[in-house]
Amino acid sequence: MKNVSPLKKTLLYFFLFVGVIVSVFPFYWMFVGATNPSGEIFKVPPNFFPGTHGWENFKNLNENVGIIRVLGNSLLITLTFTALAAIICTAAGYAFAKFQFKGRNQIFFMLLVAIMIPYHVTLIPLFEIFSNVGWLNTFQAVILPQAAYPFAIFLMRQNMQAIPDSLLEAARVDGAGEFHIFFRIVLPVMRPALAAVGIFLFMFQWNNFIWPLVVLQSQDMYTLPVALSSLVGMSRIDYGQVMMGTTLSTLPIMIFFLLLQKQFISGILGGSVKE
Amino acid sequence: MKNWWKMFLVVGLVAGVLAACSGNSGSGGDESSGDEGGEPSGEITVWGWNVAAESMELAVDGFKEQYPDVEVKVEDIGRLDVYEKLTVGLASGGNGLPDVVMVESDRLANYYDQFPDAITNLSELGYDDHKDKFGEYKKSVTQNADGEFFAAPWDVGPTGVFYRTDIFEEAGVNPEDIKTWDDYIEAGKTIKEKTGTQMVPIDIAKDDALYRMMLNQQGAYYYDEEGNIDVTSEESKKAFEVIQQLENEELVLNNDGWNGVVSATVNGEVATVPFGVWYSGTIKDQAPDQDGQWGVFQLPAFEEGGNRAANLGGSDLVIPSSTDNQGAAYAFVEYFTTEVDPQMKALKEKGIFPSLSSTYEEEFFTQESEYFSNQQIYKLFSEEVADIPVANYTADYARAFDTMSDTQASILLDGTKIEDALQNAAEKLKSETGREVTE
Repeated sequence: MKNVSPLKKTLLYFFLFVGVIVSVFPFYWMFVGATNPSGEIFKVPPNFFPGTHGWENFKNLNENVGIIRVLGNSLLITLTFTALAAIICTAAGYAFAKFQFKGRNQIFFMLLVAIMIPYHVTLIPLFEIFSNVGWLNTFQAVILPQAAYPFAIFLMRQNMQAIPDSLLEAARVDGAGEFHIFFRIVLPVMRPALAAVGIFLFMFQWNNFIWPLVVLQSQDMYTLPVALSSLVGMSRIDYGQVMMGTTLSTLPIMIFFLLLQKQFISGILGGSVKE
Repeated sequence: MKNWWKMFLVVGLVAGVLAACSGNSGSGGDESSGDEGGEPSGEITVWGWNVAAESMELAVDGFKEQYPDVEVKVEDIGRLDVYEKLTVGLASGGNGLPDVVMVESDRLANYYDQFPDAITNLSELGYDDHKDKFGEYKKSVTQNADGEFFAAPWDVGPTGVFYRTDIFEEAGVNPEDIKTWDDYIEAGKTIKEKTGTQMVPIDIAKDDALYRMMLNQQGAYYYDEEGNIDVTSEESKKAFEVIQQLENEELVLNNDGWNGVVSATVNGEVATVPFGVWYSGTIKDQAPDQDGQWGVFQLPAFEEGGNRAANLGGSDLVIPSSTDNQGAAYAFVEYFTTEVDPQMKALKEKGIFPSLSSTYEEEFFTQESEYFSNQQIYKLFSEEVADIPVANYTADYARAFDTMSDTQASILLDGTKIEDALQNAAEKLKSETGREVTE
């Protein structure tokens, strides 16, 4: 980049600048909406500046849907789910990639088929199962059904195939047990893939809507998407509250992504360099 | 061996977290309830959305004065979310459903046709005593073919044209002179010429609300009283002729979705908005600074002296048969829908317009609304209720709604001839629903 002409550089920066504006503006606009009274965002000419109504919106929102409690529910459910599903999917992916057992390919094929089943088809049977077990309106009912997430297993299996068999054999020769190998050798090697799958699982559960909506019944158990959706009624919508709610629900994803960003990007790069 | 212990620890931790989560168990449901004969007791859960849920919440105190042993829990759930949960619950045999749930009038038939046994027959519990308290229109949507109530009538949406008084004044148009749709179009032209403001917002591709109001006003709807497809009727043609003329004169502001209509209203991009009574609340909420700049008149008629009453929106209460506390659920439904007090609270504080006719004698209805240029808007709407023609929504309402919104778009945006477009719509509905088309 040393000998780039100033013109090229200016052009480059110009396009980057436009790109940043285009991608950041919706978030900024959301913030403007969250700090102004409802109806303000519809004004022409639009008001481009954050207002002073933010605390008011937050208070109303908390009174309306108990946003603090709901935020806690969402965090608890999503973090538990991410940890649990990451372990299950990694272990399953490892087994599919590195163990020889009868029917392995058939089971894996069924798994691929499972990815293609639309969610709504399983909704009612799943609901009946959980209502018969008596788990309606519980957190485990939200967490468990997708804990073995087919796509995540598939993703982990593909990644695991890159691990050379000789590495595992060497460990076995040295007398390491299978769990030791999994936790001490496979997991560290797989960290970038694990981060990518982790973000994927986190996003899935954080935004998960239909299933929690159906299975959670009292307001104090709601997750964020379900609570936000309840703000949109027939004709009277308090846009200030809605925007405040969406702001609060976007923040954790941003934080989660920033924390894992390094892992995430090296995960993408990891695939591009072949030994 | 050490590793086994670690594994055990992980499993133990996960199990522990899950167990901790399960501390909070299901709502209502397993409470035992008052038997027939005795006073209702126990706990009931009610589902509703937004201001409607809030207004049921307002009724709880008054209800408890009459039934001190019943606990009422109102859950505020999003509108479409209620339907999602209701469908799943009904399909799985009544699992996880509340004791009372609100359903919009135009969706009622859909649930009743699909799951007739899953919905409590209110007439068998004595709701027929209240028959005379509601208008014909409202009874037609809440009663089955045998004249038995399967839902309790709640709110109704008499329609009106909300208009900007200042814009009308500037253009020199007197709203009282608008008696027919032709007058309305003429007024629109004058206003456009003098002020540059358009006449009416329509979400052309997604909502046919104006068309539905016009159908209902003429005593027609998507389907006739036998349930046959009726979109090729004279009334339907007339309605689209008016809408097409509005579009041809460039009086229509094409909006994108609900938010677009609200935005156009707040910004003064349109001079009038024809909608149900409930839109008065939206205007007041979203444009508090336009105090005194709004007024209402009834829908223009199709011919001089014709009917100007129609309905848009409104909802009713249903008791799923799966309730284990039918006594208490019925007590609440009966109290809420047939007593003046809870209905007036819902109107005064949440703007939900009652269908219970005895409420219309309350003083509140003759009050002048400051926001709406000191007009007696509630009187105007309440006088309309008795004249609202009956409409047969049927279980295939949603299909017709989609089809007719598409048809509206093809007429207004693609310039398809009205007769051809309606013929196509009828054919499409016929193949989708298996219903006959009226001649």
